[in-house]
Amino acid sequence: MSQHKRPFSCSRSGGGGGGTTTTNSNSSGASGGSALLSPDSSSSMKKAKPLPAATCSLEKEKNGLHHHSHHFDTAAVAAARPGKEEDVMLVDQEELKPGASVPVAMTGVAANLSRKKATPPQPSAKKQLVIKFVKGKPSVPANFEEDTWATLKSAINAIFLKRRDPCDSEKLYQAVDDLCLHKMGGNLYQRVQRECEIHISRALSSLVGQSPDLVVFLSLVEKCWQDFCDQMLTIRGIALVLDRTYVKQTPNVRSLWDMGLQLFRKHLALSSEVEHKVVTGLLRLIEKERQGEAIDRTYLVYCSDLIDQGFTMLMEANRVDDLQRMYTLFQRNRPAELIAKFVDEKLRAGNKGTSEEELESMLDKVLVLFRFIQGKDVFEAFYKKDLAKRLLLGKSASIDAEKSMITKLKTECGSQFTNKLEGMFKDIELSKEINDSFKQSSQARTKLPTGIEMSVHVLTTGYWPTYPPMDVRLPHELNVYQDIFKEFYLSKYHGRRLMWQNSLGHCVLKAEFPRGKKELSVSLFQAVVLMLFNDTQRLSLQDIKDSTGIDDRELRRTLQSLACGKVRVLQKIPKGREIEDEDSFVFNEEFTAPLYRIKVNAIQMKETVEENTSTTERVFQDRQYQVDAAIVRIMKTRKVLSHTLLITELFQQLKFPIKPVDLKKRIESLIDREYLDRDKNNPQIYNYLA
Amino acid sequence: MRRSSTRKTGSALPVNPSSGSSDTYRSASSKAVSKEVERIDNLFYAYADASSGLIDPEGIESFCSDLEVDYTDVRILMLAWKMKAEKQGYFTLEEWRRGLKALHADTISKLKKSLSELEKEVARPTNFSDFYSYSFRYCLTEDKQKCIDIESACELLDLVLGFQFRPQVDKLVEYLKHQRDYKVINMDQWTSFLRFCNEINFPSLDNYDAELAWPLILDNFVEWIREKQS
Repeated sequence: MSQHKRPFSCSRSGGGGGGTTTTNSNSSGASGGSALLSPDSSSSMKKAKPLPAATCSLEKEKNGLHHHSHHFDTAAVAAARPGKEEDVMLVDQEELKPGASVPVAMTGVAANLSRKKATPPQPSAKKQLVIKFVKGKPSVPANFEEDTWATLKSAINAIFLKRRDPCDSEKLYQAVDDLCLHKMGGNLYQRVQRECEIHISRALSSLVGQSPDLVVFLSLVEKCWQDFCDQMLTIRGIALVLDRTYVKQTPNVRSLWDMGLQLFRKHLALSSEVEHKVVTGLLRLIEKERQGEAIDRTYLVYCSDLIDQGFTMLMEANRVDDLQRMYTLFQRNRPAELIAKFVDEKLRAGNKGTSEEELESMLDKVLVLFRFIQGKDVFEAFYKKDLAKRLLLGKSASIDAEKSMITKLKTECGSQFTNKLEGMFKDIELSKEINDSFKQSSQARTKLPTGIEMSVHVLTTGYWPTYPPMDVRLPHELNVYQDIFKEFYLSKYHGRRLMWQNSLGHCVLKAEFPRGKKELSVSLFQAVVLMLFNDTQRLSLQDIKDSTGIDDRELRRTLQSLACGKVRVLQKIPKGREIEDEDSFVFNEEFTAPLYRIKVNAIQMKETVEENTSTTERVFQDRQYQVDAAIVRIMKTRKVLSHTLLITELFQQLKFPIKPVDLKKRIESLIDREYLDRDKNNPQIYNYLA
Repeated sequence: MRRSSTRKTGSALPVNPSSGSSDTYRSASSKAVSKEVERIDNLFYAYADASSGLIDPEGIESFCSDLEVDYTDVRILMLAWKMKAEKQGYFTLEEWRRGLKALHADTISKLKKSLSELEKEVARPTNFSDFYSYSFRYCLTEDKQKCIDIESACELLDLVLGFQFRPQVDKLVEYLKHQRDYKVINMDQWTSFLRFCNEINFPSLDNYDAELAWPLILDNFVEWIREKQS
């Protein structure tokens, strides 16, 4: 799950102009795709002058924490940039008039050029241009800082108030550049922070007392959030130099984007009313969804980002004790989980009315959100789980769309992230070939009874999610079929071990009801249960349990789907929605349905709460191992390292979000297991214990 | 208290009568030393269990009663430290000899007098941290045991640190009993408690920095205090 800086196409979602993608351009060594930020009609800045193409790229924040930053590298900048890193000024001869204030910024120099080196003047070919060597620090006019700040302040205000500003983006960019050059970055940062705080707090406090209807309220919060994102991004774009110089050089100073987020988070939590409504509203939405009610998922997905940011603070403040564990789970993975689920829905068959283009553009939007996810490994786990289901149950709307999504993820995160997913596709394709040759094989032709169509997906462990082993006593015939296939497969592929994943199996059963013959699409477990009724009219729960050997919880779920849902192939005695210990079941003589072929195995597609919890828990467990491994690796190399340096190093190496508290826990665990110890003389230092 | 009846006073019965043959070759001082050793050993056997050859908990109890010090008194722990006693509740002959020799005490009364000196010795910073660590290890009674339960840890804290750091100890004990994160204390955490008492301003806690390498249990402790204060 490494995140590479790679060129990619991105488009912005949300308020203020959907972007369209343009060509990729590599500028100043930093790779990034480019996207045209289409002007937001409400932002005055962009109205003043068409924005040049901007590069969007994901970069790891200096601490290695994932965050959402876009750097704004103007094409105008790129074009005018001199080829080398030189501290030169291109000055038109006309400008060398006495008293003219010498522009201190390098016009058209991209921010990452070093300013410290002074190089000798280059001979100029053209007569008009004189290249001047700048000796020492150019002097600045007396009110330089105040005046420059005034310009910037007015621009920032305009952005937040969605008004026109007379100054254009290039001048503002330059202004920041100037201030940074003169070591006024610190002051500038403070001032920008203050301005931002004023506006953020104003925006959020305006939510107080708004709409008692929680859904409406949430949409207001969402709008606030969208606006905030747009505005911060713009400001970030102007103050890019600040981020690249002062912020980078100063320890413990957050990037502008992070600073903004922090402020947003802080002020969101300041009003207990707002906080309470957001929390309640979101929880209610999630609850509704859990109960199977349809909610506007898109909305929840957009909000999920907010959830991630705000929830931490909100929940901590509320201290919802007994629910804390559950909601901590939410706060840590809901965004990733929700986004994965959203994609799953879109990629599943049955999405009528979505054209290919619509689907593509929706997936692109999802990718943008994906960038905001801090725990991408959680997303991967859910995505993988859902993809597996779609592939195995044949529920993909379009394999092309599936593959397109993988490609997008690959571009975003690198091939390491998508290797396993691609492996799953390979397995599916390979399985097709295997099945074809199985049909032709002697084993199939001689031993498999006619009229039985059997197809097998052969899955390479490692590519696919881990499935808990589920025992079941198959009816004799099914066992025989499995053995026939196994014989065939092992004759072709030596040295392999096949393990049947019964929970993934599904069948089509021909059923003869008094009211008409039917074909039932069922899961393997459902089939096993139903086939018991070939021999008996009535069975108790215990009987079924004994005959099938299916795990109790799974069995109840299966029986519920057969006897208590919409399609009641069996009848439960006594009637009811829940499976009780004393229940009995009979073949439903009265069964009737409009269609010939009926799907009863919808439960296989549905995920259980346990499934979700275990998916997330596995991810967290895995993270723990990764942290331990990282600590040992680092300490093994360094032998002796201070606590603070170890933490810094870990943040750089670990690709998922983690709190210092959790790192401390793992360090202490490793001390306990005698991998390291604290230095006797300096307790801030750890020693590696060989 | 059957052992009390065999209590020895001043003069001891000669233990190795046969050693008397080379008397003439021994210097006066070495004679005195060997007399001391004899008396120490005899004292040992006064409390030791005949079959095991060790002083066991019962023996220690009667020893303490003779010493007129409660067996839960911290000075007994200090004595154990001086002896480098390995197993809680037991003294071996070697440990006994080591301790009493170092204290120049071969009688109960001398031993009693030496206790105040012992306290001063333990209180010296270098000795104290060693004594402090020792006291934790002394509680690891089972084989391979690495931690002690919260209750015992609290008692031990009170015993060894209570005198010097009463307010910190009281607060820490209150916290340890209240919290649910940890059910046992390990050596690393134990060590950090002393460091905390020595280094951190109390009750202001103004120089405590959770971003440093303090164990998490102390981070939580400090947070808990701060929450209560606000």
